[in-house]
Amino acid sequence: MRDLLELVVESGLKKGASFCEVRYFEERGSSVSVENGVAKILSSGILRGIGVRVIANKCWGFASTNVVTRESAERALIDAIGCARAITSHAGEEAKIVEVDPSVDFIKHDVKINPEDVGPEEKVKKALELERAAREFSDRVKDAFVVYRDVLTRVIVCNSFGTFVEEITPRTHISCRVIAREGDNMQEGYERVGCVAGYELIEGISVENFSLRAAKRAVSLLSAKPPPRGTYTVVVDPRVGGLFIHEAIGHNSEGDHVFSGGSIISDKLGQKIASDLVTIIDDPTIVGYGHFIYDHEGVRARPHIIIRDGVLVGFLHSLESAAKLGSKPEGSARAQSHHYPPIVRMSNTYLAPGDMTLEEILEDINAGIYLSGSQYGYVESEKGQFTCKVEEAWLIERGELTEHLRDVAISGLTLEALKNISAVGKDLRIEMPGMCGKAGQSMFVDAGAPHFRIDGIVVGGRR
Amino acid sequence: MAEVDIITPVEKASRLLSRLDIDFYDVFASFSRNISVTILGRGVREAYSRVDVGIGVRVFKNKGMGVAFSQSLDDSDVETTVNRAVSFASIAQPDPYFKGLPAPSRAPEIPGLCDSEIVHLTLEDASRISREMIDASEEIRRGAMYFGGFSAVYGKGHLVTSTGVDVGVEKTSISAYLQPVYREGDDVGSSYEFDYSVSLRDIDPRWIGRKAAEKAIEQLGSKRVESGSLPLILLPESSSSLFSSLLVALSGEAAVKGRTFASNILGRQIGPENLEIVDDGTIPGAIASSTYDGEGVPKRPLKVVEKGKVLSFLHNSYSAGIMNVESTGHAIRGGYSGQVGAGPSNIRVKPGDEALDEIISETRRGILVASASFSPNMVSGEFSTTIDEGFLIEGGEKKHPVKNLMAGGHILDLFRNIETISKEGRTFGRGHFFPAVKIRDVKLSGK
Repeated sequence: MRDLLELVVESGLKKGASFCEVRYFEERGSSVSVENGVAKILSSGILRGIGVRVIANKCWGFASTNVVTRESAERALIDAIGCARAITSHAGEEAKIVEVDPSVDFIKHDVKINPEDVGPEEKVKKALELERAAREFSDRVKDAFVVYRDVLTRVIVCNSFGTFVEEITPRTHISCRVIAREGDNMQEGYERVGCVAGYELIEGISVENFSLRAAKRAVSLLSAKPPPRGTYTVVVDPRVGGLFIHEAIGHNSEGDHVFSGGSIISDKLGQKIASDLVTIIDDPTIVGYGHFIYDHEGVRARPHIIIRDGVLVGFLHSLESAAKLGSKPEGSARAQSHHYPPIVRMSNTYLAPGDMTLEEILEDINAGIYLSGSQYGYVESEKGQFTCKVEEAWLIERGELTEHLRDVAISGLTLEALKNISAVGKDLRIEMPGMCGKAGQSMFVDAGAPHFRIDGIVVGGRR
Repeated sequence: MAEVDIITPVEKASRLLSRLDIDFYDVFASFSRNISVTILGRGVREAYSRVDVGIGVRVFKNKGMGVAFSQSLDDSDVETTVNRAVSFASIAQPDPYFKGLPAPSRAPEIPGLCDSEIVHLTLEDASRISREMIDASEEIRRGAMYFGGFSAVYGKGHLVTSTGVDVGVEKTSISAYLQPVYREGDDVGSSYEFDYSVSLRDIDPRWIGRKAAEKAIEQLGSKRVESGSLPLILLPESSSSLFSSLLVALSGEAAVKGRTFASNILGRQIGPENLEIVDDGTIPGAIASSTYDGEGVPKRPLKVVEKGKVLSFLHNSYSAGIMNVESTGHAIRGGYSGQVGAGPSNIRVKPGDEALDEIISETRRGILVASASFSPNMVSGEFSTTIDEGFLIEGGEKKHPVKNLMAGGHILDLFRNIETISKEGRTFGRGHFFPAVKIRDVKLSGK
C-alpha cells in the first residue's frame, strides 16, 4: 500500500500539483439490532477506497474511488488535478496551506477485547440481556430497542511533505431506546455509550447504568409537564453542557468557518468573549469517542484551548485554515471517508471544571430550569444563534428541583450566553458520544462539561 | 469515467444465494458518479469528483434477517458478502411480523428521470454555474462571504430478489445552494436559497444568487420579540417540514407498530376541510419519482389526506404485511448498505384560495416564518423549535426580522389550527408542492 500511495503522490507533483495528498480509508463494522426481545437484524459492511486531494493552479481539486488499484488511484489523481484546473477561471480565494514537517508513524489503538474476535452470538446475547431489562421494567414500556455497533477504521495519509501516517482505530457503541405509553401519551428514553475501545466497553455495562436508565426516563416522562415559556436562568447537566459547548462555541471556533466569514467570533481573537469562569478545550488526545492521534492531514493532534478564563485564545485548524489565519495546525482536520476531503472538526470538546457543587449552583436560583440529557442541537454559526434539544428538565424553585418537565429546548445567542455563564461545577464528565454533521460529512465526536449555570436563556415550551 | 458493471455481481450473488437453504433474499448494487463544487468565503473553493459502487445483500431464514454490504464488487468480496449475510440470518431470531418479499410486477417507465445533460456535465460547467450564483448575488449587493455549492449526480442501481423481482433504475439529480453573509458591525444578515431537480434546465443559478442576497439583506437588523401566542404564517420553505413530518410519521413500520404521533390518526379529521395531501411518485421528471420503489413495487399516487381526514399509511411490504394490506409502493432503500425503510415520495399539498399577500395584510400581529423546522419528536409529536428566519408582522405589514424566538407545541395542534392555505406555493424538483399556511395561536418564547 505504501508504494502505491507514494507513487501517486510523486506522480501528482510531476503532473504539476504543488501539493498532493493520497488517503487510504477502510472501515469494517458489524451491528446487532434487537427489538422487543428479538435480535431482528445482524449486519456487517466494509467501506474501502482512496481519496486524492491536490492543489494545482492555486486551486483545490479532489477525487475519490472505491477501487483500490494503481490504475484507479492514478485515474483519481488525474481527476483531482482536472477538478482544480476546472475551477481556475472561477476560483475565489487562492488555495494555500501551511508547510509542516513530515510525520512518519504507525498507530494501532490497543483494546483488551477485539470486537472482531467476539462471535455474533455473544453480541446478540448481551444486547438481548440489556434490552430485556428495559422491556420488563414496567408494563408501561411499549417498545425497547438495543443497537450494538463496532467499527474498525484504518486511515493512511501520504502527502508531498513526506508524511506517511497509518492509524487503526476501533470504536464500540451501544444504544438503548425505550418508548413508554399511557393512553395517547408516548414518551422516549435513550441511553448510549461509545468510545475508542474494544468489546470490553460492552462487557463493563450493567443494566442499571444503561438500559434501566432509559426505561425509567421514558416512564417518568409520561407524567412530566411541558415547560413554561420565556427567558430563564438554566442549569445544565454534563450532557446538555457538552451539547451547548459543541454547538454554541465549538462550531464557531472551527478555522474554516473563521476564515470564510461563517463564525461570529472571527474578529475576536484575544478578546474577552465569555465570563471569567469559562475555559473551553477541544482535546483529541483524551480517550473518548472523538479520540485520535493523527488527523487526516497527517498532523499530530494536540489539545486546543479555545477560551481561557473568558478570553478567546485559539481556533481549531486544518493546514489551510492555519495558513489563512496565520496559525499552526495542531491536528483538527478529519474526513468521513475516502469520498470526502478533510475539513476542520471538533474532537472531544469540553468546559473545564470550576469549584462548585450542584447544590451550590442551584441554591440562589429562585425560578429557573434544570436541563438534563441531550438529544440534538444545531447552530447558525454565522449569526451565533444556537438551539439545543434536551431529554428532560425540572423546574428550579428556591434552589430545589421540583416539577418534572418534558419536551424542552433552549435557544440563545452565543456571545450573550457565554458571558452569562455565572457558575461552574467541579463534576466534569465527557459522555456525549455521537456523530457531528458538517458540510455533508458525519464524524465521531464527544463532548462534556461539569454542571453549570447560564442566565437569560430562552426556553421553548407549551405553557 | 467509465461505468462499472453492476449487473454481473448482482447475478453472481443471486446465483450463489439461490443454491442455499434460505427463505428469501434480495441483492442490490449501485454505481454513482458525483461531481460537485463547493463555495466558501469569497468564491468557488474546491471541485470534487466521486465514484461510488457497492453491493448489499439481505438474507431471510426462519424470519431472521442477515445483512452485509461491500464497496468492492470483486468476485471474492461478493462471495464473502453473501456468506456473511447468510451466516447472520441463521443467528438472527424470527421476526413474527415478516411475511416475505414482494412478487414482481411490471409498470410503465416514468419518463424524464435521467437527464443526459447531467450525465455529460463537466466540472467546468459545474464551476461556471457556481460562479453565476455568486455573480448574481454580488449584483444585488457586493461584499458578502459565502457558503454554498453545486452538485450533480448520475446513479444507477439493480435489484434482484428471490421472488423474481429484477429491475434496474437510472436517475440524475442536481442541487444548488447559496448562503451569503453580510456584516454591518455586529449586525449579521444571512439567509440562503436553493433548488434541486432531476434536470439541469430546471435550475436557474442567477435566480438562486439574487434571491439569496435579497433574503440575507432582509435579515439585517433582527430584534427580539416578546413571548406570547401569535399566528404563524409558514412560507413553503418551512411549511414543507410540517407536511413532510406528517407523511414520515404515517410511513412504514414505526407508523403501524404504534410508534409515531400519527399511528392512531387513520380516519381522523386532523385539519380543515380544504386540506388535501397526495403522495405521487409517478410524476414525470420529478425529483422523488421512480418506476419502482426500493423493493421493486410499482409506484402509484396515493391520497393521504382528503377534506382534512387521514386516509392511508405509506407502506413498504413489511408494514403492509403487518396490516394485511398491499404495499403502497413506498419502500425506500438506503443505497447498497442493505437497509430498507418506508417514506414519502413527491408530496403535493392542494393550494387554497387566498393570496399570500392578503393573508399577511389581514394579520394584525403575527410571525412570518421564512425558515424553521417544524419536525417534531416523532414519537410524542411535541416540538420546540427556533424560528431561524422570520419577521414580525404588525398591522398587516412586515416590521422587522426576529431573533432568538422559539415556537412550541404539538404538531397535530398545528394542523388543527390551520386557518388559511395560500393559493400560491413552491414546487420543488418538479414534484413536491407546498403552499404557505397560516396557523392560529402558536405559543412563542422570546424575551
